[in-house]
Amino acid sequence: MHIPDGFLTNRVAVSLDVVSGANILYAARRARVDFSSRMVPIMGVLGAFVFAAQMLNFPILGGTSGHLVGGCLLSVILGPMAGSLTMATVVLAQALFLQDGGLVALGANIFNISVVTCFSGYAIFKLLGGSAEGGRRLLIAGFVAGWFSLIISSSCCALEMALAGAIPLRVGLATMSGYHALVGIVEGMLTAGVLGFLSKVRPDLMKIDGVGRFGVWDWIGAVLFVALPAAVLAKAGSSGLPDPLEKLLAGSPLLVEAGAGSQKLSSSARYGDYLLRAGVFVLLIGSGVLAKRLARRKRSGP
Amino acid sequence: MRHNFIDRYAALESPLHILEPRSKLLAFTALIVGVLSIPVDRGSLFFVYFFATAVLMGISQIPLPYIMGRSLVILPFIVLASLAVPWKGFYGIGILFVRAILCLILLILLTNTTRFVELMRGLRKLGCPQILVMNLGFLYRYLFVLTEEAMRMKQARDCRRVGRAPFGEELKILSSMLGTLLIRSFERAERMHSAMLSRGYSGHFPVLSPRRFSWHDLVFLSGITLFIVLTVLLR
Amino acid sequence: MTDYAVRITRLSYTYPDGTKALEGIDLDVARGERVAIVGPSGAGKSTLLLHLNGVLTGSGSVRILGENLQPSNLHQIRRQVGLLFQDPNDQLFCPTVFEDVAFGPLNLSVPAGEIPRRVEKALGDSGLDYALRSRSSHHLSLGERRRVSLAAVLAMEPAILGMDEPTSNLDPRNRRHLIEVISGLEATLIVATHDLELVLDVCARTILMDRGKIWADGETRSMLSEAGLMEKHGMEVPLSLKSGMRS
Repeated sequence: MHIPDGFLTNRVAVSLDVVSGANILYAARRARVDFSSRMVPIMGVLGAFVFAAQMLNFPILGGTSGHLVGGCLLSVILGPMAGSLTMATVVLAQALFLQDGGLVALGANIFNISVVTCFSGYAIFKLLGGSAEGGRRLLIAGFVAGWFSLIISSSCCALEMALAGAIPLRVGLATMSGYHALVGIVEGMLTAGVLGFLSKVRPDLMKIDGVGRFGVWDWIGAVLFVALPAAVLAKAGSSGLPDPLEKLLAGSPLLVEAGAGSQKLSSSARYGDYLLRAGVFVLLIGSGVLAKRLARRKRSGP
Repeated sequence: MRHNFIDRYAALESPLHILEPRSKLLAFTALIVGVLSIPVDRGSLFFVYFFATAVLMGISQIPLPYIMGRSLVILPFIVLASLAVPWKGFYGIGILFVRAILCLILLILLTNTTRFVELMRGLRKLGCPQILVMNLGFLYRYLFVLTEEAMRMKQARDCRRVGRAPFGEELKILSSMLGTLLIRSFERAERMHSAMLSRGYSGHFPVLSPRRFSWHDLVFLSGITLFIVLTVLLR
Repeated sequence: MTDYAVRITRLSYTYPDGTKALEGIDLDVARGERVAIVGPSGAGKSTLLLHLNGVLTGSGSVRILGENLQPSNLHQIRRQVGLLFQDPNDQLFCPTVFEDVAFGPLNLSVPAGEIPRRVEKALGDSGLDYALRSRSSHHLSLGERRRVSLAAVLAMEPAILGMDEPTSNLDPRNRRHLIEVISGLEATLIVATHDLELVLDVCARTILMDRGKIWADGETRSMLSEAGLMEKHGMEVPLSLKSGMRS
């Protein structure tokens, strides 16, 4: 879901602006170095594809409709660097074309919809051993990766809004993650379906970007990207800052006026949130490393 | 699919429209940040911003029903937030609503008084990475091509369908439609790359100099700065 | 020998998936000549065109204006060889018409002050109004898009022009207009097409390709009148020749 302006505390919004900005700048730098020139039109057109695909709603169960988010799918095909860059373009386009998602909240939306879905989806997919070879493993890996990418993305969204105090964590998680657990099934099935289709018709498309693939050091870099700025801003928030900056960052009225209960929620949950995020990425690194080691062992096995 | 949902009102000639995109980007972002940094005990400042926004809305010549229609995106969040009334009280949620709608209207004004092409150039000149702006350009350009293709595929499928297939079948069909669209997108990108190479593309996009700053922009920017400074002082 | 615009010797090309697209192509085109390449679908016509500016590289040699194609001189070559692709949507990728037409010259480091003049001339040569320049190409009709694509190539002022199915999907009026435009061009022309009437109108020399090889190379009218040859390669003698409409 695209968060509009005004639903996040400035602190959260700004910290996510920094994180997403860093991610984009890094990916852009990598793009110049790693990507062959043909990746550029590919990324652009696939951005249009995701945007168009997101606009094609299909009915599920009576009145509701769902659509493909596509972050996981893109990152499996393009690699998480190019994938997250493309998804970031889509999020930006949605904010500019459709005013879906706010301007200051852009960092948060890019983080949730692009960074989180792409990296977590890719990690899960690789972890479950999905590859262009196809078969049942591909379908299962695709499904789980797609489903999981939405779950974790919507949980981040709920957490961020809970920190604003506007929407209590329980309510947020229940609705957001609950809804996305259902929609995630569709995302998972479509991701798996499209990947399966590709592996049969154009398997070469799933291996187009060998250079941009993610290595262990990239995972470590990813954690640093998220955890470090987040930690810095969390620290800055708690200590004393020069007045005008403090005033700007502490601008959310709800933290000030909210009752004791929710204030407790914000202060402990804030650190908890950053820890959680860092933890998630550490987990993803660990799994990635583990998966690689297992794969290597399998290859060099008897 | 209608092509003009993006730049529908961007070709008007209101005082807002003729401003340089960079000044608009900076000014509206400053205003949004301004709204977001109003402390809660200064509820009256919201009225000041509301008034300013209304003035801008009027100047922009964009029809009010259109602005109202665009702002409906915020509805699901309002619904979610109103679930928190028992915790936060009406005042808290009310403030939230006011903040959100003000920021949204400001964003609507920014994006609807600027042609998308100009917006992209403005972003580039403000330091947005080249590759992001390029991707945005391609996305804009090929969005219509792809949605037309998608619609045609959908039509073709509908012609061959009787009634509603079971859920699993629907999903399979949609997967192959999406997969086909994806592959066609790839092939189009490959051909596009060949065309780009043929016209001398060597990795970077040269940019031409666009609209330049005029006295309109100076007046506008100073007006906005004055306004924001005043509101900060008024605290 | 530098009189030749294009000199292709024993060119062969196989696609990554193993399909043989070109087998031992020999072709010489003189400066200012207008050559048509005809043949059934899948003959390799488009593939051959892509070799003219190094987008594809096969075995054998391709010399453009005396220069052998190499990675180091591709930029120069692309200055001289313009390619018009079949689908305008593939070639119009900039947000506005002006930017699409300016794309080529900008890449060739034409000074910024020169650019508007080039764009205006290119649009004019393609029969379009300069006022079209701020429109987005998805707002244009197919005929207009075709012409913008042509303008985008002409703006680079190439000496050699390759065209892939320039008249396909055009209504009669747009087609006639495009043929007029093409007839007025001074560049060396190599046109791959199914439109045999276009060939008769514009190109004095025709090459017949099928299954990656050249089967005939000669004067247009006499070749296209040979019923046996045409039918053997999946084509027909054009109506205007059959009915004797062309004197």
